[in-house]
Parts: sequence; C-alpha cells; structure tokens
Amino acid sequence: MKAFAYFDSGHEFPEEIVMAAGFSPMKILGDVHKGTAAADEYLFPFFCPFARGCLADALENSGKWSGIGVAHGCDATDHHYDMWRDHVKGVPIFWVNTPMKMDQLARTFYIQELKRFIDNLDKQYSVKVGDKELKDAISLSNQVKSLLRQLAPLRVKKDIPNRDYFEIMRKSIQMPKESLVEDLKKTLADWENRKPFPAGKIPTFLTGSDVSFVEFMDLLDNAGFRVVRDDLSLGERYFATSIPDAASPVEALVTYSFDMPRSATRVPSDGRLEYILAVLKDTKIDTVVSQNMKFCEPYAMDAVWTIPAIKGKGYNCMHFERDFTPADNQLFTRLEAFKETIQQKGGRSNV
Amino acid sequence: MLTIGLDIGSITTKIAVMNSKALIDAKVSFTGYNVEKAWRNILKETLDRLQLKESAVDRIVATGYGRSGVSIANETVTEIKCHAVGARFYMDNVASVIDIGGQDSKFIRIDKGGNVADFVMNDKCAAGTGRFLEVMARALEVDLTDFSKLSLQARKSSPISSMCTVFAESEVISLIAKGESRENIIAGINESIVNRLVSMIGRSKIEEPVVLTGGVAQNIGIQTALMKKLKIKIWVPETAQVNGAIGAAILARNI
Repeated sequence: MKAFAYFDSGHEFPEEIVMAAGFSPMKILGDVHKGTAAADEYLFPFFCPFARGCLADALENSGKWSGIGVAHGCDATDHHYDMWRDHVKGVPIFWVNTPMKMDQLARTFYIQELKRFIDNLDKQYSVKVGDKELKDAISLSNQVKSLLRQLAPLRVKKDIPNRDYFEIMRKSIQMPKESLVEDLKKTLADWENRKPFPAGKIPTFLTGSDVSFVEFMDLLDNAGFRVVRDDLSLGERYFATSIPDAASPVEALVTYSFDMPRSATRVPSDGRLEYILAVLKDTKIDTVVSQNMKFCEPYAMDAVWTIPAIKGKGYNCMHFERDFTPADNQLFTRLEAFKETIQQKGGRSNV
Repeated sequence: MLTIGLDIGSITTKIAVMNSKALIDAKVSFTGYNVEKAWRNILKETLDRLQLKESAVDRIVATGYGRSGVSIANETVTEIKCHAVGARFYMDNVASVIDIGGQDSKFIRIDKGGNVADFVMNDKCAAGTGRFLEVMARALEVDLTDFSKLSLQARKSSPISSMCTVFAESEVISLIAKGESRENIIAGINESIVNRLVSMIGRSKIEEPVVLTGGVAQNIGIQTALMKKLKIKIWVPETAQVNGAIGAAILARNI
C-alpha cells in the first residue's frame, strides 16, 4: 500500500478518508537532522521551522508518495498549500479546510469539505470511497486509538522513557495501520512488564506545539521530567477519543474532529484549558511543561493566558520557547533549574 | 575546607576559590572553543598562583553551560541556583537577582529561606545579553570598558527599536550614517537591553533588595538605565562576574 503523505500542524487531517481510498496515511514530520535549507529558498526564516522542515521533507521525498494532503492545522498552513502546489512537483496536492470554530455552521461546512475531499480523491485516483470503505477505515483507526489508550496510562505506573512514548506515536502516524496494530499489541505486552515508575523522575504533563523529534523528549527525560500525560497532536489528542458510530461515516469524522481535546488553534480556547486542568486533577500530576516552537504563534499567544491560569491553580509550571534543533543546552539548564526549584521546595514551583 | 566553583559560560570561564568562610581568589578567562582546555587552564593558573596542589581542594562544583564537561567536578549545579547562592554570600536578605551573561539574561526571585522561588530567562534570542553588547561595541568600534562609560556622556538616547541583534546592528549602522553621536547610540543600546530585561522581569515579581550579577553587571550604563527604569536601588558586587562561581564554591561545602 503506497503512502499518502500529509502536512498537518495539528491533528486535523482525516486519515481515515485516505485509508478508505486505499492508501497508507503518513504524517510529514520533517527531519531535524537535515535542517530546513531546501525549504528556506521558498519560506522566510521567520516562518515556523517545523513547517520549513516539512517542506524540505516534501521537496526531497514527494516522489515516494501517492499524494499529499495539507490540513488546516493552523492559519499559516493555508498559504503553505499554495506554496507547496507551486514547488513540490510530481504529486497531486489536496487541501482540507478544517474549521477552527466548533459551531453548527462549522459542522455543516466541514461535512461539505470532507465530501469535497472524497470527491477529489475519487476523481484523481479513479477510486470509489463509499460508506463501507470509510467504516472499515474508521474501525481500523479506532483499533489503533484503543490500543494507544491502553498503552498511554502505563506511563504513570511503569518505566516508559519519553522516547518510547514518542516512538509509538511516530509509528502511529507514519506506519501502515494494519502492521501498526500488531506492533502496538507487542508494545503493550512489553510495557506491561516494565519496571515501576522510576524514583527521581517528575511525572509531567506536556503541552504546547507538536513535538516532532525524539531528541526533545530525551532532553525532558534527561533533565528529570517524565511525560505521563499530554495534549499534543502527536500524543493524546490523537487517541483520547474514538470516532463514534454513526449512520454517516463522514458525519462521524466531523463529530470526532469536534470532540477531541482542543488545540491552541481552535477557538474559543477555554475548552483547552479546562481539559488540561481536568487531566491534572484526574491524574494527580502537579508539574506542567509548556513549550512553543519558535514562531509558532497559536501556542505562543495561547500561553499568555493559559500558563498564568495553570500557575494560579498552584501547579508547578514552566513555559519556554524552543527551536527545531536536536541540541539545546540553554533549554536543558532551564529544565534542570526548574527541577531544582521543585525539589528544594519539596513541591510546587512556578517558572 | 577548601572548595572551588567553576562557572563555564558561553564567553568566559570563571573560577572562585573559597575556604569555609571567605573568598580566597577569583579569576575570569575566555572560554573559547575548547571547554576542557578553558577550565583546566584557569584551574592550573589559579592553583599555581595560590601555590596549592589539586589534592588540597576538598570539593569542586561546576556550573554554567559547559558544566557537564568538567570531569573533575564532584557535582554540577545550574547557574540559576549558583547565582542565587552567590548573591546571598554578599547580601543575606537578597530577594531578587538579575544576571546578564553572555548568552542568557535571567531574573531570579529568592524566597525568605534563600531558595530559588521563581526564575525567568530570555528565550531564543541574543538581544538583551552580553553577546548583544559585544556585537554593538564592535559596530561602534569601542571596547567594552569604554562602551560602559560612554553612555553616561550622552545628551539623549537614540532609540533602538529592533528586537533582533542582527537587525539592531544594522539600525546602529544607520544611526552612525545619520551622524548620531556614539554616546547617544550607546545610551539607546543600553536602554534597549534594559527594556527587554524589564519586560522579562514583568513575567515574575521583583522585590528588593536586588543584586545585579554577570559580566554585563559591570557596565555602569546598564546599571544606571536599569535603576532608572525599575525605580529601585540595585546593588552590584565587585565580583559580579564571578558570582556564579562563588555560588558553586559555596554549594561545594555541603555536598
């Protein structure tokens, strides 16, 4: 099954539709080790480096993909679609305009948008994406989400390094789903037999821009922060909820999109904060690490009111800006200092 | 007891030698490309000067961005904690520390127990740091010592509005081309650093007494602009640049 790549700065792209069309969806993450030089010719340096990394990836690898979908992960991605159409050659590129508001009008709009996307795939690849194909894809996708929901809580109880969690998430958005299910089942058996949660690590909720490279997760772990909950798109947003059963699979996908935990791009943002606070209360975690990728405006702006609200509830909370780089010594110092302040006070710290 | 604090910063490496009560010696040298060479050299020079053997040193704590490269350190501690401890060495009731180093500027709030209660640091940008001053001093062809004093002779400050070091440099070059005096430009540069710092501090809460540390603390223009902007008194220890190393040496007593 050939890969159908997608560029999505959130979890907005309807993977199930391309699965129903006979493709294997694969989220583009860029390659932090290769940098963004190839894309810098087309995008200014003050643009999100993750997005530049994704374009560089597409410029190099588009020949290996059947198509590319660009989802409305954040407002900047609208223009990425135009740019990618001009510069990424030899592969059809599709635009899926996910609404950022969650009202009835947006729902009606999104149903039409998904139908338009299906229609475009049908025409481009001479396929017929019908209800049966969509329901089969949804069923497989829900199997993956269900397995991830069994795996994720083990982070609180067992010794699951941040990189291991990142790796299952990376596989979930890049591997063909059939083989992924088997892989996740094996991982579940492995994680259940891991040692208990290590002493000395601080159970942490991770929020903010999507983390697209494992080195950042290692950085957190090395500084003593073990991510046990999160609301990342390459994380719990992807599997927190299942796609509901509905007579119309397209409507089910819309309901799923509207019901998943909010990202900072969606308005109003109250739901996002409420979700974070509910998770913290439910899991009894008292430490939050919030980060935004340099030039990631939705999360940078969201932090202005979300972080004080979290701190105001008495949680340990640190927010910082990071870059698209595998090595960041200054950040390591900040995290270590955050850990020192938590430890010396035997509890809460706000940084 | 003899302890040593080594602070390996992005521009300079600092050493502080202390006994159980007092500072015995302190020195600053450039870090350069080779971190290991930097700390080994400063350690050897200092011990030679004091006519001490390495075996006479009870413990060493390393801090700064190159701390993990100090293989002989008994422990590594972040510079945030070291600056807080170092400032308390001079002023037991210090409540706030502003540290301006080569690549970082930090604001540290200290609680009544002497612990770090809160800290904020600059994000991914050199503006507001020692490196920013270096770039500006180079553009104005003055050394950093003169740079520090010249702003006091300014009739007015020429505002530098760019947030980016590179663009601020070109803004400075434009001001030079317009015939603006060097003194006024330097005053503007100092103000831009201070404005950035104050915005950063605004994310936390400043309380007096305040100690200013780091290499940039020696810049009298920055000191003056900071006091004017914050409307508070700021105390600058003579050894402001080695404050982190002093904190490390003090922490070494208790590990």
